[in-house]
Amino acid sequence: MTDAELVVRTRAGDPDAFGTLVSRYYDACWRFAYHMLGERADAEDVVQEALLRAYLAIGRYDERDQFRGWLFRILTNLCRNALTSRSRRTRRFVQDELALQSAPAPLPSWAPGVEDAALLRALAQLDPLQREAVLLKYAEGLEYGEMAAMTGAGESALKMRVKRGCERLRALLGRTLEDAS
Amino acid sequence: MADRDLPVEPLDGFAPDVDLAARLRASYGALPPADPVQVERVTRAVLASAMHASSRRDGSPRPRWWWGAAAAALLVVVVMRPWRPGLSHAEAHRAFPVPSASDGPVGATREERGGAVRFDLVLPSPAAEVSLVGDFNGWDDEATPMVRRASDGTWSARVPLPPGRHVYAFVVDGKQWLIDPLAPQVPDAGFGPTNALIVEGPR
Repeated sequence: MTDAELVVRTRAGDPDAFGTLVSRYYDACWRFAYHMLGERADAEDVVQEALLRAYLAIGRYDERDQFRGWLFRILTNLCRNALTSRSRRTRRFVQDELALQSAPAPLPSWAPGVEDAALLRALAQLDPLQREAVLLKYAEGLEYGEMAAMTGAGESALKMRVKRGCERLRALLGRTLEDAS
Repeated sequence: MADRDLPVEPLDGFAPDVDLAARLRASYGALPPADPVQVERVTRAVLASAMHASSRRDGSPRPRWWWGAAAAALLVVVVMRPWRPGLSHAEAHRAFPVPSASDGPVGATREERGGAVRFDLVLPSPAAEVSLVGDFNGWDDEATPMVRRASDGTWSARVPLPPGRHVYAFVVDGKQWLIDPLAPQVPDAGFGPTNALIVEGPR
């Protein structure tokens, strides 16, 4: 059954149809959220919230849209909100802005079986918009047009975020390799 | 997520970082797939939360106060049996076990943006399912199933609650009534122990 058919059934009140959509996209959502937020519990919360908002807004979903892109639009917004909220909580307890800027990024909780801890640590140190752009481009494999529709940013801005994000990641990962050698 | 071939086109003068892209995709692939049971729990939790959210949106009434009163009256008759105080006290004690400090559940609540409250519960032993019950869902143990977080085993549920006082408890595996020993408790008036929560804000 296609996503559009499942959406129609969900609107008609079929909970199994929505369950199938969740099964189909939960993994993809969670992997993105985990790489964006770096915390497993936060990622699970954000994914659940995204699915709830998608369910509540299912009446407004346009079948001409790709369901995955529409769902990811909701998810990326929630990830941004979560990161903003997290940075506000951090600032409440740190009076010295300079100390905050120079403090190392807190180590996130790692999911078992994840081997590339260095990559996740490096991602956590990127500007959130650069992190989002790099993940959407390279991990999700989206075209810039799709990314623009999802994030609301222009393609030029997205390309610049990807470029700068990659440069920063290479620098951070290169430093890690030097430290390890 | 199924692997797809990466686009190889240059980014308007920026060379694609194939190695970094491959490393990111490998990191995605290294994550284990979600447990189907967890996915099902999330689905049920979303549908339950949507029920609460939609009843607030379209103006339909919140769960009736007399649902809780009827449930409480039933508890009094079935459990407390006022005409047999000795027997009813012993049975009430068994029906509503208060956990000891060494093996009891540990709960927490947190107000979140948008008027929702998140309820978290850590149990000392495994459970197949946990429900949140309260005056906000008619004490219905099927209305608000909790989701178990794979990361640390915490059971969690989110409920939109208006400002004011709310009373709640937990039901484990459909039969065990639990309260959070660390949260404010409502004096037991014979209906069983419950926790209380105050949501701040204008009414």
